[in-house]
Order: sequence, then C-alpha cells, then structure tokens
Amino acid sequence: MFSFSTRPARIAAFFAIVLALVVVLFPFVWVFLESIKPPSLGGRPDVWVFPPTGDNWNNVLFQSDVPSNILNSFFVAFATVAIALLVGCPAAYAFSRFRGYHGARYSILAAEMMPPAILILPFFLVLYHLQMIDSLAGVIAAHLSFVVPVVTWFMIGFFDEVPRDLEHQAMVDGYTRFQAFYKVILPAVRPGIGAAGVFGFVLSWNDLFYALLLTGGESRTLPVAIAGYWTFRGVDMGKMAVAILIAVIPVLILSFFIQKHLVRGIGGGAVKY
Amino acid sequence: MSYVSLKSVRKKFGAVEVLKGVYLDIGRHQFTVLLGPSGCGKSTTLRLVAGLEPVSDGQIFIDGQDVTMLEPRERDIAMVFQNYALYPTMTVEQNMGFGLKAKNVPASEIRTAVHKAADLLDITPLLARKPGALSGGQQQRVAIGRAIVRQPKLFLFDEPLSNLDAKLRVETRAEILNLHKRLNATTIYVTHDQEEAMTMADRIVIMNQGVIEQEGTPEDVFFHPASRMVAAFIGSPVMNFFDGVGTADGNIETPVGIFKGFPQVKAGQKVEIGIRPDDLLPAEPGDNTVTGQVQLSELLGVRAIIHLQTENGSAFKAVVDHEIYREMKLANDASFTVREGRLHVFDSQSGQRL
Repeated sequence: MFSFSTRPARIAAFFAIVLALVVVLFPFVWVFLESIKPPSLGGRPDVWVFPPTGDNWNNVLFQSDVPSNILNSFFVAFATVAIALLVGCPAAYAFSRFRGYHGARYSILAAEMMPPAILILPFFLVLYHLQMIDSLAGVIAAHLSFVVPVVTWFMIGFFDEVPRDLEHQAMVDGYTRFQAFYKVILPAVRPGIGAAGVFGFVLSWNDLFYALLLTGGESRTLPVAIAGYWTFRGVDMGKMAVAILIAVIPVLILSFFIQKHLVRGIGGGAVKY
Repeated sequence: MSYVSLKSVRKKFGAVEVLKGVYLDIGRHQFTVLLGPSGCGKSTTLRLVAGLEPVSDGQIFIDGQDVTMLEPRERDIAMVFQNYALYPTMTVEQNMGFGLKAKNVPASEIRTAVHKAADLLDITPLLARKPGALSGGQQQRVAIGRAIVRQPKLFLFDEPLSNLDAKLRVETRAEILNLHKRLNATTIYVTHDQEEAMTMADRIVIMNQGVIEQEGTPEDVFFHPASRMVAAFIGSPVMNFFDGVGTADGNIETPVGIFKGFPQVKAGQKVEIGIRPDDLLPAEPGDNTVTGQVQLSELLGVRAIIHLQTENGSAFKAVVDHEIYREMKLANDASFTVREGRLHVFDSQSGQRL
C-alpha cells in the first residue's frame, strides 16, 4: 500500500487535499454568500463584504412557488425510483442468471449512450397526443428512460454476488422460483436496492432537461424553478442561490449514506469482488 | 424394489453431452455415494434428481412416482450444498424452519421440529445467530439441520465436506453416518474423495465422462474394479499398472516379468495388469514377481511406502510393514510377489476387466 511516510511528502499531500477542497467547495461558499447578499449587490461576485440579509430566503421559502416545486420534485423522484426498482430488480436478476451470451447485459446500457436530445422529441410528441404535457406522469415516464437502465445495471452486480445455490436451496425447500426471488434473493441484496434507489433518486431529482421541456406552470420541478430565476430581465442571483442550496441538501444527505455501496454498484457486473 | 430410479437419463448443455444415458437404482434407506473425477457428471446427476436442471431425455422416479417433470418443491427432497447456501438474512432458527414454513406448518410445530433437530446436532446455542456469525463447521451443521427438519423422502448431499479442514471433515463424516443410521433416510451423496466414499457408502456409484463405470459395495469396487479407471481411482496409494501381452499358453508377458495362469487373456492381446501397492509381498525373484530398485521410502508409522523402479524404467510403489522397511536400502533391488487373487487384468483398448 502506498503511504506518505516522509514529512515533506505529508505536507505536500496536505496541500494537495486543501487545494482540491477549495476547488470543490468554493462554488458552494460562493452560492451561499450570494443567497445572503442584499438584492442591490446581486450578481456582483467581486463584493465580499456586505451586510447579510434574509430577504432572499424569506422570499423563496414563503412567497414563491418553490415549496410546491420541491414537492413536485419529491413526488417525481419517488415515483420514478419505485417504478424503476419494480422493473429493474427482476430484470437485473434475469440478466444475472442468464446463461447465454454474457454481453447481453451490456445492451441495457445502450439506452444510456444516447444523448437525451434524441429521445425528447418522440417523448414530447407522444405525451402531446396523450395530453400529458405539463403533467408529473409525463416527467416520470421520461425519467424512467434513464433511471431504469441505471438501476438495472446497478442491481446486476449485486445479484451476481448472490450464489445461485441460494435460490436453488429455496426451491428445494418448497418454494417457487419467484418466491425464492422475493423471499430469499431480494432480502440478500437489500444494500444494493438502497444504493440503486438513492442513485436513481438523485438522477431524477437533478434532471433539468426533460422537466424543462415537458412541464410548466403547476407541474414544474425544482430544477425548472431554479432555471426560472433566469429571466429576460437578467438573473435573480440571490433567490436562485437559495433554491440551489435547497436542491443540494437531499443529494448531500443521501450520498453520505450510500457512498460505500455506490462504488460497488457502478462497477456493476464488470467487477468481481 | 428401488426407491430412486434413473432410466436412460441424458443431459446436454448446448452441444456437450454431460450424461450419456444413466441407469441407476437406489434402494430405500440406502446411503449411495456418487464418486468420480471432476466433470464426470456426478453433480449434474444429483441436480437432475433434485429437479434443479431439466433432463434432456429419460425418466426419474422417486418412491414410485415419475418426478421427471416436477418442480424441485414438488419432489419432497432436502439438499445440502457445498457452500451450505444458508439464507444470509435469516437467523439459524429461521433458516432451519424455512422449509416447513413453505408447507404452512403452524409456527409452534416448526419451533418444536427445529429445536429437536438442533438438539440432535448440538447447535441449540446458535439458533438466534445469523449465518455470517458462524464458523464453516457450524454453518455445515446448520445446513444439515435444515435438511433433517423437513423429514423429506430423500436427502441429497453435494460435496458437503469439501470446504472443511481435514480434521473437521473426518469428524463430520462420522456424524453424517451416525445421523443416517438414526434417521434411516435414503441418501445420495456426491463426492470426489474416494476415502469419503469408501467409509460412508452402502453402495458406491463410480462415474466417468457421463457414464456409470461401476456400481457396488465399497468392497466390490475396491477388490473387483470393473475397469482400469475404477481401479486407478479407488485406493491410496494408487494401483500400479504394467503393460503386458497375452501368450498362447495363457500367461501374460510384461517387461517386468511373466505372470502365469490367465486363461481368459488371448494370445497377442494387449493388456494392463494392475497390482495395489498393499498387495505386493516381499519374495525371492522368479515368475509372478516384480523386481525394482528402491528409489525412495516414506515411513508413515507402522507401514511405509516404498517407491521403486524396474530395470526398464517403469515406476511402482509397494506398501510394506515397518520391519521390512528397515531392511530396504536405497539403490538395492527388492522383489515382490502378488497376494493370491489380487492381480487385476484389464484390456488395454477398452479398459474393461478381464
């Protein structure tokens, strides 16, 4: 194992870490400062000293549509994840146990390789004819197009780690293959389900592209609301900063809980432990 | 009347035929061991009996019922896997009761059955634990316990001891045998370890390349191996083999000497003679003897394994008593005769016993 054993090496490592933290954390600090800047100084990044104000927070939290946009985002993300897990887990199990061509599992990633711009037009047309433009169900459908493959890919790796003998044992013990799947195999991959769910949640939560084009008015999600502060009169930086910080919080909390499983899941079926 | 019966069972994986028409009859209450080198089809046979793989052709009967098309859960069998396959999220007690739960047995009855089996196996203190907190030997006992709780028609064991260390393996071996005697259940046990097979089996079924080479009691397969493969597979140290040719007067001529009295061998027929190292007795040189130069000797305790080489360079081994071992000097010649009736003759082409 590599270690920093000499004193100069340790000091160099320390400064490297500090530098990385500054680069990564600076935008957060800056956004926070923007959120408490008086509106008169909005959009002036060169001003560092000012009397802080709570006006932006007060406005966004109590006088705007942002709280209902947050609820929309939560609803979309939860529904997307629930459906994605319901579809993705059985699919991943099937891919994991499939004995034919091993490359079949990579086909699930094909959907991820397309730029979303290719899908948006068909989506828009289909939803338009179904009169589902400007509905949360439409956004959920769009989000499923990229969350299902990710969840499936994630879960394949976890199912691969469960020995086949486990379901065989359950089948000998008197259960059907499907019962073996949900009574024995699913509980065994619970950490994976959690990680895949959180990952899918974040993907849906952060999506701006589909939500911007498919929603409006009542059905706007949080990222769309954030973008809404960019108006033809200019960027309302202070309020936008508040909304951004609110959007980041759930992602931060969730990522903290699943960081360990995240790496394992992304490795998917390709990496064996 | 046989209890488990395989009729012309074939199994193909793609183009590869793993089982090439297996006929097998197993009596009620018998402990049958399927033995063979890896890839011989013994585990596949077991999985077909369990119903975990569909047969490609043929029929399987259990207790008179044709189960060929039945699901594993409909066959009333219990199986112990090599890696134990304990349900990781359940406690030992839940693991053991899981099979009864499938049959909708009332919880109180499950509890009684599980505790009875746990007592039998000395694992009562472990009941509340999860499999992850158990040692390999304990997991093995839980797996066996889970099997006996069910009181199935048939027990299947798939190399259950191969993940245990040598000492534990011998102990568990005895324990499984005791359990078999108490429960008197019909058992099919798969192993590649010939010692396990010899010590445990009522009947040994030796498989090779998808067919049954020989079936019989441990004595049968040891003293009357039906083919060269069986002869070479059973016994330790491994049987010595010498090439030979039949002569017109019913003898076998080999590079190591002439062996007399084999009327079943035709003149000119190419054969191999097989002699177990334990069946070589020190003797004066002459007919029906093998002579070699001592290359190496390994003292095991009371007995010793002597490695020898004949004049023409073929190596063989002899197992001798401690006293004889002391007389054997490195690089000296030693001659052995073969114990009465213990010389095996196999056809070179077919490998069959003559």
